[in-house]
Amino acid sequence: MTYSSEAAQEKRRSFLDPRTKLALVIVLALFVLGGLGGEMMEPIKRVLSVLPFLMLLAERQWKRFFRGLLMLGVGYGLLFVMPYLHGVLNFLALMCGGILTRFVVTIVMGEYLIATTTVSEFISAMERLHMPQAITIPMSVMFRLFPTIVEEWRAIRRAMGMRGIRLGGNRAGEVLEYQMVPMMTSSVRIGEELSASALTRGLGSPVRRTNICRIGFRVQDGILLLLCAATFASWLLELCGVKLW
Amino acid sequence: MNKNENKLKGRDLINVGIYSAIYFVIMMAVAMLGMIPIFLPLLSVIVPILGGIPFMLFLTKVKKPGMLFLMAMIMGIMMLLTGMGPWPLATCAVAGLLAELVYRSGDYKSAKKAVLTHGVFSMWIWGNYLPLFTDYEGYFAQRQDYGQAYIDAVEKLMPLWMAPVLLVACFVCGILGGLLGRALLKKHFAKAGIV
Repeated sequence: MTYSSEAAQEKRRSFLDPRTKLALVIVLALFVLGGLGGEMMEPIKRVLSVLPFLMLLAERQWKRFFRGLLMLGVGYGLLFVMPYLHGVLNFLALMCGGILTRFVVTIVMGEYLIATTTVSEFISAMERLHMPQAITIPMSVMFRLFPTIVEEWRAIRRAMGMRGIRLGGNRAGEVLEYQMVPMMTSSVRIGEELSASALTRGLGSPVRRTNICRIGFRVQDGILLLLCAATFASWLLELCGVKLW
Repeated sequence: MNKNENKLKGRDLINVGIYSAIYFVIMMAVAMLGMIPIFLPLLSVIVPILGGIPFMLFLTKVKKPGMLFLMAMIMGIMMLLTGMGPWPLATCAVAGLLAELVYRSGDYKSAKKAVLTHGVFSMWIWGNYLPLFTDYEGYFAQRQDYGQAYIDAVEKLMPLWMAPVLLVACFVCGILGGLLGRALLKKHFAKAGIV
């Protein structure tokens, strides 16, 4: 017999284990965004760049998938028209295109991680990796807060913009005081409420917490982790001067 | 104080998370300016000054050893995740440790030491520039898609002697940011009842 909440957890279970997602984020950040590795890594990088989009499809995150695709499309479009433009426009097109094509993949991966991982899943995955609480708690609080802070900031910016307190408005000098300060105030408030609720549920208590969410490696995790390991292996081989192809 | 009270508890760890998140969001918003070449060296001025506001607020919550170091390490990890390479991790460890010692010498409450702490802490930002000086070719090989104009502009702006200048800039502007943060703290946050 399964409890109803257990069944619900199973249904909500994400396509990948949080640990696999994290490994993918790190590999993407190092190799695709950070540009580690030389010529030989190019084909691997191309495979890696496609992955986040496939993941979003597998999780049926249509909106995020199309938004990522759109950004990538705009980026390549700019690079495509770039040779036909002159002067400043050329420079701008090249820069925006370069930035978009460079960052989109990692942004999509980060979005995927945040959208499909609950805080409990993240914490239980970190516990299984034996990460100390001193790292996992602040990190999970951070990931929980990012969307909230950005949302708050957007709302405050809109409200203050109406009074001319924005970059380029007639009271631009007051941006610092009347945009950042309220943003921080409300973020701290939200954070404190969050911390009260988390503490009530026993976060950071000396006793080992149990967790209802189901995580664990499955076939797809194995394949992707192998891919991550292969990426590192080929990078090391390249460093040693071995040519694979 | 006995040892048990000095141990970081859930609440302290959550506080580290909250303020790291605010600090990071502000930093990322500003760092996007670095896409324009002239702003790249200027980031070592802007980031410490703006970062001073959340950091001074954070310092009012710091009462135990380890919190500053932890925040620095988290910044290092976040830099690694956002593709700045492993250098910041090293500078974060050093700057975090030094900041910890400075603030500790003021018994975790001295206002003057708090300003100095932010100056020291801000030096971690220097780690983001290091690849520019140590591995010049590599740095631009991966930024080829920004265009030759960008590379030329940065090349002109970043001769080798800029390395120590940037470190000093981080420290000095960190102190300025600390003063700014303290002024705003008095004016707004105390009134709002957060401090």
